[in-house]
Amino acid sequence: MNNSGFGILQRVGRSFMLPIAILPVAGLLLGIGGSFSNTTMLETYGLTRFMGPGTIPNVIFTVMSKAGDIVFANLPILFAMGVAIGMAKKEKEVAALAAAIAFFIMHAAISAMISINGGIKVLPAGAGADVVGIPSLQMGVFGGMLVGLGVSYLHNRFYRIELPQVLSFFGGTRFVPIICALAYVVVGILMYFIWPPVQTAISHVGGFVLRSGYLGTWFYGLMERALIPFGLHHVFYIPFWQTAVGGTAEIGGRIVEGAQNIFFAELAEPDVTRFAVSATRFMSGKFPLMIFGLPGAALAMYRTALPERKRAVSGLLLSAALTSMLTGITEPLEFTFLFVAPLLYAVHCVLAGAAYMLMHFFQVGVGMTFSGGLIDLFLFGVLQGNQKTGWLWIPVVGAVYFLLYYVLFSFLICRFDFMTPGRDRNQEAKLYTRKDLEEKRAEEEKSGASRKDEQSRLILQGLGGRENLSDLDCCATRLRCTVVDPKKVDEGVLKTAGASGVIQKGQGVQIIYGPRVTVIKSALEAYMEQEGGPEGSLPAGEAPPAEKEADKESRTKKKRKTIVIGSPITGMAAALSEAPDEGFAQGLMGQGAVITPEDPIVRAPADGSISFVFPARHAIGFMTKEGLAMLIHVGIDTVKLGGNGFKVMVQEGDRVKKGDSLLRVNLDFVSKHAPSLVSPVLFTELSEGQRVRLLKEGPIRAGEAFLAVETEEL
Amino acid sequence: MLVKEFRYTITDKIGIHARPAGELAKLTKEFQSRVKIRAGEKEAAAGRLMAVMALGIRNGQEIVVTAEGPDEERAAERLEEFFRNNL
Repeated sequence: MNNSGFGILQRVGRSFMLPIAILPVAGLLLGIGGSFSNTTMLETYGLTRFMGPGTIPNVIFTVMSKAGDIVFANLPILFAMGVAIGMAKKEKEVAALAAAIAFFIMHAAISAMISINGGIKVLPAGAGADVVGIPSLQMGVFGGMLVGLGVSYLHNRFYRIELPQVLSFFGGTRFVPIICALAYVVVGILMYFIWPPVQTAISHVGGFVLRSGYLGTWFYGLMERALIPFGLHHVFYIPFWQTAVGGTAEIGGRIVEGAQNIFFAELAEPDVTRFAVSATRFMSGKFPLMIFGLPGAALAMYRTALPERKRAVSGLLLSAALTSMLTGITEPLEFTFLFVAPLLYAVHCVLAGAAYMLMHFFQVGVGMTFSGGLIDLFLFGVLQGNQKTGWLWIPVVGAVYFLLYYVLFSFLICRFDFMTPGRDRNQEAKLYTRKDLEEKRAEEEKSGASRKDEQSRLILQGLGGRENLSDLDCCATRLRCTVVDPKKVDEGVLKTAGASGVIQKGQGVQIIYGPRVTVIKSALEAYMEQEGGPEGSLPAGEAPPAEKEADKESRTKKKRKTIVIGSPITGMAAALSEAPDEGFAQGLMGQGAVITPEDPIVRAPADGSISFVFPARHAIGFMTKEGLAMLIHVGIDTVKLGGNGFKVMVQEGDRVKKGDSLLRVNLDFVSKHAPSLVSPVLFTELSEGQRVRLLKEGPIRAGEAFLAVETEEL
Repeated sequence: MLVKEFRYTITDKIGIHARPAGELAKLTKEFQSRVKIRAGEKEAAAGRLMAVMALGIRNGQEIVVTAEGPDEERAAERLEEFFRNNL
């Protein structure tokens, strides 16, 4: 896969995290609500009296089930919008709106084509679907992706378009929904022709499965997983579950068709001594996969996340794993790696097939209402007894699956450096960014700012500078601004910047530009972001060159070990280059960062030991338990204070725990008698291949993640 | 085995602190020879900033600097010059 393709895929994956975050809770609602309001289940266990229709528990479970279901039913549009938001470079809200519009239009176009050509009835079973109320083709999340990607492409291309004066009202961001709407009329028509043949091909695969025994079962499982992202799995497995494709049986004197129907008919028939494996072969495989395998994958993703982000991803992964285990709803977990690491998904599909095959082989006869979580395993396996179901094989195979998933996923994630949740280094402050940004700025200044940037610069100047601007918006023709100090606004400058008029009322300033205003606003926002955005960050989508190189490096080298060090002091953190001392700033004494202390206590940044306390008491040598040598140097030139202003609380050789007090600094005294309080915190003896990253700039508390040392292991 | 060595008494009034230790470490890395500093009973590799700082060398203290390796002559010369100019 080429680099840019890979980069785009990773961005798609990242953009999916937004809608994915809602899935675990929706999954739990649907899984619990669905199982306990399922009439077949209630009848089987004689619970109808307590929890059947009409009872209060039933009301609660039904509402839960519906509330969860609506999210899954509308996943396609959620993904359309989520991808558009994630992939749009600027003006993301416009992309979201355009995605919703494009999604409606595409399905409306498909729907129109369907009804013109004979209605939904002529389509193969399972091919049609109700999409946000539109009778259309079942395209699943794939349909949403198609919209999200296309819309974000059009958006990034056109959101700053300038149209001729007559049409200029429709320029800029307003053009995006328009062009998307038109484009997706065409896409919808095309999909009507392209999609059904794909669906038909899939349903033909069913015949092959039935004819080929264990291999067929394996293939069934593989296909079912592989089709999930495309929403085509329903076309594939519904025939097995619900029609004669999945087998026919005579139970209690009546003919029953379809694997799931056979299972539930047997469940209701007291004479059955063993459930028909010929039917459950299309179901039982989900149990080891969902209760054991996928949670193993989640654990692997957690273990391979960057240490400082483990906490952040643990919530997502834990809830997704629990959802999978409990309810058998796997999308929350699968989607976390599907898009960032398709290879993992491929492995997952192969293993899924094998799970079905093993269950078939061991003659396990456990069915399910709709998925293979603990709830269904308990109801249809454990409660039925091992005699009838052979369910004991599930935990046995499951334990192997858990290990297999954990080991395989851990290995592959590290080997290929997949950006599974919590591994994306781009989302953090970095040591080099500030320097890169400054270089970039200098270059831009040299090459001469573009006309638009010049205009933006003038507008900002006319408004009294960036600091004076508290809010920015626009209507049809005017830029509406709120300023802090109205006196700083200079109408003359604004008019040089192309304004045809300026209206000022108190803190509100309206600058009249005519219909081009949306373009001007976008340019101004882009300008402000690039010019004075939060320091250390670059415009979206551009990784600093150093980082790119590092990424490349990390792909060729194998493993990376990261050690995170907390801040020794509460105060303001900044890059080492900020140190007001050339020796420190240039890294002569080591790599690291600086803190301007706001609290008098210097604490141990990690578990470790005290290598030395310098006689002048202003510097402490520290050795982490991993063997990283650190120098905590309080203030600049503080060696000259000869120990005054410092009170040491430890001795050379002491073992300390993270957070233990090491040194008390008289901040008043030191700031009066030394050139600066800025305190370098350094790694003095890094070897080649070790890199330091600054994790946080600005206010930081003692103990908070501060620096990370990455060691590449060959 | 030949080892190049010289003695030096620190004249800098605050001794070897972070910056000179850093400069010393940097200078030492230019040579292939192993350079050590002995102060009293303690000894440290001159290339390791932390080790040198841990010696806590003060004004008036006498140290022994040794260099051992292919370029020990030049190393000792340059180091002596460094100490004289800076410490």
